[in-house]
Amino acid sequence: MSVHLERLVEIALRDVLDPEIGRSVVDLGLIYAIAATPDGSVAITMTTTTRGCPLTGFLKEAVAMAAGGVEGVTAVAVTLTWEPAWEPAMIAAE
Amino acid sequence: MPMASLSRWTISYFAAALAFLLAAEALAVAGLGYPAAGLAEPATLVFVHLVAIGWLSLAMAGALLQFVPVLVSRPLAFPRLALPALFALILGLILLCAGFATLAGWIEASLDLQPLGAAFLLCGFSLLGLMLVVTLLSARPIALFARFVLTGLACLAITALSGAAFATILSGHGDWLGTVALLPDGLPFHALLGFGGWLGLIAVGVSYRLFIMFMMAPEPPARRVRPVLLFASLGLGLAFAGLAAPFAGIEPGTVWIAAALAVLILAGAFYGRDILALYRARRRKALEINMLASIPAFGALGLGLALLPIAIVAHAGDGLIAALVLLIAFGWLGGLTLAQLVKIVSFVTWLETYAPRLGRGPAPRVGDLVAMPRTGWWFLLYYGGVVLGVAALAIAAPTGFRLAMALCLAGTAGIVTELVGIRRLSQIKAAERPPAHERPRLLAARAEERRPVHVETGSIAHPRA
Repeated sequence: MSVHLERLVEIALRDVLDPEIGRSVVDLGLIYAIAATPDGSVAITMTTTTRGCPLTGFLKEAVAMAAGGVEGVTAVAVTLTWEPAWEPAMIAAE
Repeated sequence: MPMASLSRWTISYFAAALAFLLAAEALAVAGLGYPAAGLAEPATLVFVHLVAIGWLSLAMAGALLQFVPVLVSRPLAFPRLALPALFALILGLILLCAGFATLAGWIEASLDLQPLGAAFLLCGFSLLGLMLVVTLLSARPIALFARFVLTGLACLAITALSGAAFATILSGHGDWLGTVALLPDGLPFHALLGFGGWLGLIAVGVSYRLFIMFMMAPEPPARRVRPVLLFASLGLGLAFAGLAAPFAGIEPGTVWIAAALAVLILAGAFYGRDILALYRARRRKALEINMLASIPAFGALGLGLALLPIAIVAHAGDGLIAALVLLIAFGWLGGLTLAQLVKIVSFVTWLETYAPRLGRGPAPRVGDLVAMPRTGWWFLLYYGGVVLGVAALAIAAPTGFRLAMALCLAGTAGIVTELVGIRRLSQIKAAERPPAHERPRLLAARAEERRPVHVETGSIAHPRA
């Protein structure tokens, strides 16, 4: 159930697009981890392309909103991290 | 967790900067300043300072107010000083130019306008420096790019102080210097520290960070970048020594200037290698207009920097030296600044308008705000004017230079129109624009109206990607 929910959340996060190049936060490698518990609580660990990115707060909210919209999700916690730092090699191949 | 935010007055700095650029180009089209007047004559000084302070310095200041906090991930220190600093700089420049105009005989006024203008400029640059230095030093350890900015700010301080000293001399109050003759020998070093240190070195340092973001390129290791800062600091140190030499009774000659430039060439060579590597290694294959329009600027830097010391040592004459300075000031610094303004203005505008809609439905991309390919044609016109202007100065063709500046003026006016269009969301379908009262203001960002961001931090050992 929780693995299935994690997969659904990841699919939902593909709708959160980076405004610069139009690719999703998942494709850009900004989502480091998605962990769901059987009761529907989801913990997402994500980063931004640069530590002081002015979009940080908005990206975090957008990710929380997209994950919260998935059926079966009862709570969402989004944590930002810059360890390890994001690098272009984390972008998924097109 | 301290966070960077939107700089409210960055757009205002840009607007003032572009107004001064248009004014400088209009003066050149009218035939005022070099080559109709000598390089160090008051008419030329008006043009030079409108470009150096009005255009390039204000644009650089506006960009730094937005990006220094982003790059060190700390809020801007004393943000309320940004507007008084802008007013002081604008007023100072107008007074300084009025003083030069008096010296040129264009108007009848007191020559004391020059030191008064210099005082306002010192005040404005001091406020700017205070905001930036405190912000940079609040993040420890001090990053390599921050060292570029700090070194550039040190050059700004020396340039502004030496400029203020020159202003007092030109206004007839140079007695306090005794027998020390700062003019005219100090002028090239003053210009070198201003263009090469304050404007050039900071443009170099910031471009490393911004181009990585704009092109999604891997960050070059610090050991590759350090030689750029090292050689640039050495060259600028020589320039400072040249400026201070008269106090030790030494008269710095052309060889001193050429030596400083030669060391700067080494810095430029390492920088060029790194920029080329960034373009080649980028993950974002389709270049946006800001990165495309920066390519001629780098060409101008390479050519100008390589030829300038040769021209100086060979005593090539004012025409060729003026041509190469134009290539560096308008081709490299001016072209690079115009190109990056398109990016910064569109990004700031998107941030104000569409960031709150992120993840809540369809929103245009940042690049959708820019009218393409039309913006590209304006850059072509601008750079065409620069090439023609350099050639006209080199072959001493004053009419050709005025025509060239008319091309630059047309190109600049076109780019300004596009920037206004970006602020007005003119490329976005009417249905996708926010209500009128939520749209970006033309001359200032709605920084105070953004919602607060709450950020938690943490770390994990194994990323998914």
